[in-house]
Amino acid sequence: MNKTSSGPVRTAVLVVLGLIWLTPLYLLIVNASKSVDGYDAATVWEPSGFSLFGNFAEAWDKAALGDTLVATTLYSVVSPILAVLIGAAAGYAIVVLRLRYGFLWFVVIFGGTIFPLQMVLMPLFSGYADTGLYDTRTGMIIVYTAISVPFSAFVMRNFFTGIARSVFEAAIVDGGGMFRIFRSIYLPMAGSALAAIFILQATFVWNDLLLGLTLSQSESVRPIMPALTGLQSTYGGAALPTVLAGGLLVSLPTVILFLAAQRFFSRGLALGQF
Amino acid sequence: MTSTIQPPAPAKQRAGAAPASTSARTGARVAPLFGVPAVAVVALLLYLPFLWTTYVSFTDYDGLASPVWSGLANYQAMFSDPDLVGALVNTLLWVVGMVSLPVVLGLLVAVLTYGHKWGTWLRLPFLLPYAISGVAVGVIWGFVLQPDGALGQALGFFGLPGEHTGWLQAGPGNTLMMIVAVTWQAAGVNALLFVVGLQSIPAEPLEAARLDGAEGLRLFSHHLWPQLRPITTVVIGLSIVGSLKTFDVVWVMTQGGPGTSSETLALSMYKETFVLNDYGQGSAIALFLSLVTFAASILYLRYQLGEPK
Repeated sequence: MNKTSSGPVRTAVLVVLGLIWLTPLYLLIVNASKSVDGYDAATVWEPSGFSLFGNFAEAWDKAALGDTLVATTLYSVVSPILAVLIGAAAGYAIVVLRLRYGFLWFVVIFGGTIFPLQMVLMPLFSGYADTGLYDTRTGMIIVYTAISVPFSAFVMRNFFTGIARSVFEAAIVDGGGMFRIFRSIYLPMAGSALAAIFILQATFVWNDLLLGLTLSQSESVRPIMPALTGLQSTYGGAALPTVLAGGLLVSLPTVILFLAAQRFFSRGLALGQF
Repeated sequence: MTSTIQPPAPAKQRAGAAPASTSARTGARVAPLFGVPAVAVVALLLYLPFLWTTYVSFTDYDGLASPVWSGLANYQAMFSDPDLVGALVNTLLWVVGMVSLPVVLGLLVAVLTYGHKWGTWLRLPFLLPYAISGVAVGVIWGFVLQPDGALGQALGFFGLPGEHTGWLQAGPGNTLMMIVAVTWQAAGVNALLFVVGLQSIPAEPLEAARLDGAEGLRLFSHHLWPQLRPITTVVIGLSIVGSLKTFDVVWVMTQGGPGTSSETLALSMYKETFVLNDYGQGSAIALFLSLVTFAASILYLRYQLGEPK
């Protein structure tokens, strides 16, 4: 759109609203930075001291965030990669290879996302307990992958639909096998879409509470969000700065990722996220 | 909403098309190999559990002994057990809250920032909370809403009533305050969606309208709003679906309490199943949520799948 007025009223409304929106973050940072002893519930608005890193360390120890972070990082990287590849393969089969009844396949795959997680929690819990996957890192990777596949297939189908048919025909004339065409022509071409899916799904996995709560319990398997809720309930009222520091700590990766890759987020939204 | 990539160019038959089409047939033959992993993983981890939950919802089952058929008993309980009815009402509150507050605010932020010189920067404060998890949002707002906490002190400072209110200590006030917390998180993403919608509006008719003297509210209600309808449908559909699943923030801030005063159905499902071992009841709640979610999804899936607008 062309230049629109950036009138003072409009700017003022946005600034005021924006400041209100930043206030909880201000309170979070200020109080996560207070020393546990120096924290006074009556003066939460005023900054005092700077013990942020001490509080990080404290949260790290108490919630065993160290182990948890390793596990969560593993899930947030491996599962989205697997999901992106599986989804891309499905999109390739349906659009490029013209899989018979392709649309039906697509509906089946995409249909996996339209019911809430609540619908699968109990059987997953029972099934995981029976198969020895409960409370294992493998089990968590598998479930996060499965949850991420439908969206990935959805985006990749859309993406491949936008690629000219002649690309495929030329590749065949050049004598490529179907797998090689997938790996060395279609995947590289889809770089930005793959990255968008990866970032969105990594954020989803990192932020997950429900699956972690249901399918894990030990410190080395449990993802970070359930661990943080554990920290909150064990603190007994004294070390609020520790809890807040924990909340800040677990938010940093996704916020940084978001800021660094904002265009991927908006792109993901444009592609029909969730 | 479809991808922004250009439509495929019409496939040209080349001189060497004969080998190409043979290979294309090979392509169709090996195609299932590429599709099977996705279907397998979705079938095994999503559809199979879906079917089991559906069956269990019509039974009495504690997770140990075999399920015993009980017909619609679990569903009747959902509409007669006072705790579950309370959760149903709270869930309705969430739906109403989430299709109004964050949608209106998101639209406001989108319209005000769109085309603004510093639009991207002015939008940022609203987007930051979106990158934060539900758990962290719960931790932050649980802190802000402590009795005599940050909000109470601010009200006291400005001489407003409510300084000593226990915001989370009674229903339905606790649910309303948690809706505020999630509004803080969700408004930005709605704004982003509305911006995408605004970008898809052709500029010329708007310019023409502006030249005709349309401005401010009139420009919005006569020219922008009608064209934002498809994206609004998507935003509202997503908001309904999201609000039906409300779990994280409530789990962190109140665990559904005090008592069951702030429980949502998603939370009841979890408690019935994993705390009370009433798998049948938990499953019935899950299936009910799924049906409502499905109905709401139909609202916007049509747009998402890119079928005729």
